Amino acid sequence: MGTKEAGKAALATADSTDARRERIAISVFGVLILCAFLGLGWRCYHLQYASADHYAQLSLRQQCAYLPLEPQRGAILDCRGRVLAASNQIRTVFADPRIIQDPKETANSLASVLDLPAHEICKMILDRAGSRYAPVAVGVEAEQAESARAIEGIGIEYGWQRHYPMGRLAAHVVGYTSVDNRGLGGIEYEFDRELRGEGARHVFFVDVHRRPLSFCVEQKSGDNGMPVNGDGIILTIDATIQQFVREELLKQYKAFEAEAGLAVVADPRSGAILAMVSLPDFEPENFSRTDPNNFLNRVLTDQYEPGSIIKPFTASIALDTGAVNTHETIFCENGHYSGRGFGHIGEYRQGFGDLTLREIIQNSSNIGMAKVGQRVGAERLYEGLTLFGFGKKVGIDLPGEAEGLLRPPSEWTGYSVTRIPFGQEISVTAIQLLRALCMLANGGRLIRPHAIKAVVKPDGSVVDIRPPALRVGYIIKPEVARWIVQDAMTAVVNDGTGKRAKLERWQVFGKTGTAQLAKKDGRGYEERAYVASFMGGAPAEDPRIVVLVSFRRPNYALRKGYTGGTIAAPVAGAIIERTLTYLEGPPKPTPSETVARAR
Amino acid sequence: MLSSTAVMNEPRSRLADYIAMVIVFLMGLGAVMVFSAGANLGYEFDLRRFYAFPALRQIMFFPIAVIVLLVASAIDYRWLRLRDRWWKSAPVWLVFVSIVLLVVVLIPQLGTEINQARRWLRLTIGPVSISFQPSELAKWSMAFGLAAVCARSEPHARRYWTWFVPLCGLIGLVCGLIVVEDFGTAAFVALISFVILMIAGVRWWHMLTLVPFAGAGVVAGLLRSPHRIKRLLAFLQPEKWPDVVYQANQSLIAIGSGGVWGKGLGEGISKYGHLPEDTTDFVFAVVGEELGMVGTIGVIGLFVLFICLSWVVVMRCRDRFGRLLAAGIVLTIGIQAALNIGVVTVVLPTKGIPLPFISSGGTSMLLSAAAVGVLLNIASQTDQGDPESPADTGDDMHA
Repeated sequence: MGTKEAGKAALATADSTDARRERIAISVFGVLILCAFLGLGWRCYHLQYASADHYAQLSLRQQCAYLPLEPQRGAILDCRGRVLAASNQIRTVFADPRIIQDPKETANSLASVLDLPAHEICKMILDRAGSRYAPVAVGVEAEQAESARAIEGIGIEYGWQRHYPMGRLAAHVVGYTSVDNRGLGGIEYEFDRELRGEGARHVFFVDVHRRPLSFCVEQKSGDNGMPVNGDGIILTIDATIQQFVREELLKQYKAFEAEAGLAVVADPRSGAILAMVSLPDFEPENFSRTDPNNFLNRVLTDQYEPGSIIKPFTASIALDTGAVNTHETIFCENGHYSGRGFGHIGEYRQGFGDLTLREIIQNSSNIGMAKVGQRVGAERLYEGLTLFGFGKKVGIDLPGEAEGLLRPPSEWTGYSVTRIPFGQEISVTAIQLLRALCMLANGGRLIRPHAIKAVVKPDGSVVDIRPPALRVGYIIKPEVARWIVQDAMTAVVNDGTGKRAKLERWQVFGKTGTAQLAKKDGRGYEERAYVASFMGGAPAEDPRIVVLVSFRRPNYALRKGYTGGTIAAPVAGAIIERTLTYLEGPPKPTPSETVARAR
Repeated sequence: MLSSTAVMNEPRSRLADYIAMVIVFLMGLGAVMVFSAGANLGYEFDLRRFYAFPALRQIMFFPIAVIVLLVASAIDYRWLRLRDRWWKSAPVWLVFVSIVLLVVVLIPQLGTEINQARRWLRLTIGPVSISFQPSELAKWSMAFGLAAVCARSEPHARRYWTWFVPLCGLIGLVCGLIVVEDFGTAAFVALISFVILMIAGVRWWHMLTLVPFAGAGVVAGLLRSPHRIKRLLAFLQPEKWPDVVYQANQSLIAIGSGGVWGKGLGEGISKYGHLPEDTTDFVFAVVGEELGMVGTIGVIGLFVLFICLSWVVVMRCRDRFGRLLAAGIVLTIGIQAALNIGVVTVVLPTKGIPLPFISSGGTSMLLSAAAVGVLLNIASQTDQGDPESPADTGDDMHA
């Protein structure tokens, strides 16, 4: 070995320098490439470790499709379980024009399933060529949907459609929903969160044509990836009573061509609303073509000066504070009462002389009530009216309630203390009046009006959500309340302005009111624009229901009358009669009749 | 030192075995990843069209490539030397055949167009249709041919007009034929060719005279195709060219969303049509998505290992031709891998260069395997360390 190398020594030296240069050059290139790989390795680390989350997000955004699963919206039932609103599943057959190879053949096979002309289906598919979605038929039967789904390129979309079987009957209470099942009014709006339920969303990875790959990435929200249906809601409303109320109200509303009419029936012991009707009303399934004014639930939204209808409350405050008693008489100035600081007060028709408190209420004397107010004084009057709930929302579980207006005594003028007792310079809503009436009728116990009885969870359990019995006891002495209802207000019905509400079978109590509508600018009253109201209840000895009926702007030109006693009282009477008959059954035969039958 | 007979009885050296192991592992990984990337729901497997599915075809290429590798490693690499009589020299014929095929592929009736580029020759023999990419062959024949020429000529004989310019003419001709349809590969072949010349010891001022020509060539290449300019602009300002950078974005999403451990073999999403060229030039992105950083760093590590092992071969090799040839093979594979990974990770603008051993594509796979077989032969002969080895006789011939 050594000899051979030595033999080529000269050549080897020249060769080895050249070889060394070559080796260095190769090493330089080798190191360059290794550096490049090092850089690429760092790049991979950067992409896959440092910003992996960013790219995972991008991949989710771009490579995923979402399948929303809509929950069934809860039903709304009346107190006896009759359906007022419910959601039904609706199946839509749609074609995917991008998948369909031969629209004619698809249309033919679909036509036999759906009973539709094939050429129409074909046209629907061709019109949407290039898109992924061409609706063919809405609301098909389950079996049809199943057979349609088997056809290549045809899919079924499931949705929910809201139905209101009773239509207009309780439209203001129940409310209405948008096409995407959002509550827009009434209970539907107020309890939207409970009714709506919780939707779920399935997330799929998809290929570039947005076809789902067979696996599901993650299931979001809901119960284990499935939607949770909405809670059902049971109202205190009784559809039967609601029916009576609407019928009677509508009759009078049309006869007197009133601008609006409202009627509420409540159980005074609990404050539960049994019926609530506001006219004009609307068709909940066709709300889009409704005059927006018709959506107003006037029981809650309309505030106005109540007029005489407030007198029983003023009287009870006066009795409760001891400012007057039931025996003494008050001189009613023969119809003209004026003085410094409060101007002139007149009566509605004729003037009166000496009247007891009962007679003041029975004849609805303004001067009597003004004098009672003066005796009570601003502070105590304000406190009493506040206790009855005027001037603030009653907190009913329905949307859109107005507050009314009752100024604090510091803002009262000399006029105020004489006007407020007969219902001027105070603004109330029907629901405030009804609540106050309930508290008179139940002996002065504080209640909160409510329209919802219970919530039914999707698992079937029923949660009672009626407002708890309020711990505050009585707002007026029970004997005062009893006297007002059983003495003064029965006198109104038996011999006073509310005669038309009188019934044979039950002793009705009540009070009429005919308030002038204040001008929009707040100065004075409109000519011949009235709110005619009647509030009452029966039976007087232990009131089971209370009713408030009110018409806004009955047509004066008809010359049929415009007062609460003329218009509202007969409606209230009819409502009370039908409702109590419904609740208590037909009249029990008297003992003599029983004997006669036994024979 | 072992006796020469004992060494001769041992068919291959340990170093060659290591290199073979690395390469076979890369090819196996490639077959698996190409199959994973190709096996998507879009295909309905129809065995009559077996050969039409790149994924299945690639699985078949894997064993064939291993056989090619073994056969090539058994043939003495000196067969590839330049001989006194040029018509007996293999590299001359190799380059000649490459040039002929490059011309043939440009003839519209004979070349097959895929992705708006006429780069393939398709031979149909009964039900089997073989696609062949002449530019791949040209790449290797240039590496082999230049190594042979450089080994043959003495450094002092490398004159500008009689040696450098004719070689540049040859390189220019080959690259000119490739550039018609494939700018990236042409640039790559030119790069490899000049790297080999530089290693062989070309004078630096010779190279400098080429700079104006190279510059002009690049500008001309860019101006010929507005698409190329757009790609380049899109690379520099990705937000302005959303449609052009689509593929690059998809590649980044695929790699990035793989994270450290990957989504799992076969669990990738990008291959379902989101990432174009997922089995070929962008298969590395699928590796990144399904095998994560472990996979990408692993593949890079294997290439690095291959380069290091081959570097040992080159350093040990006493035969000038063997050294240049081995260096050419290693650098070709290494640079190509680096360029491909650079493109896939969007460090470089998009160019159609496959990842050696991993991307699907029969021509590239088999020719790379043959080239590595030659490298293995060099390795096994060098490792014997026998001064009597034919390496010296080779030198004697022109001495």
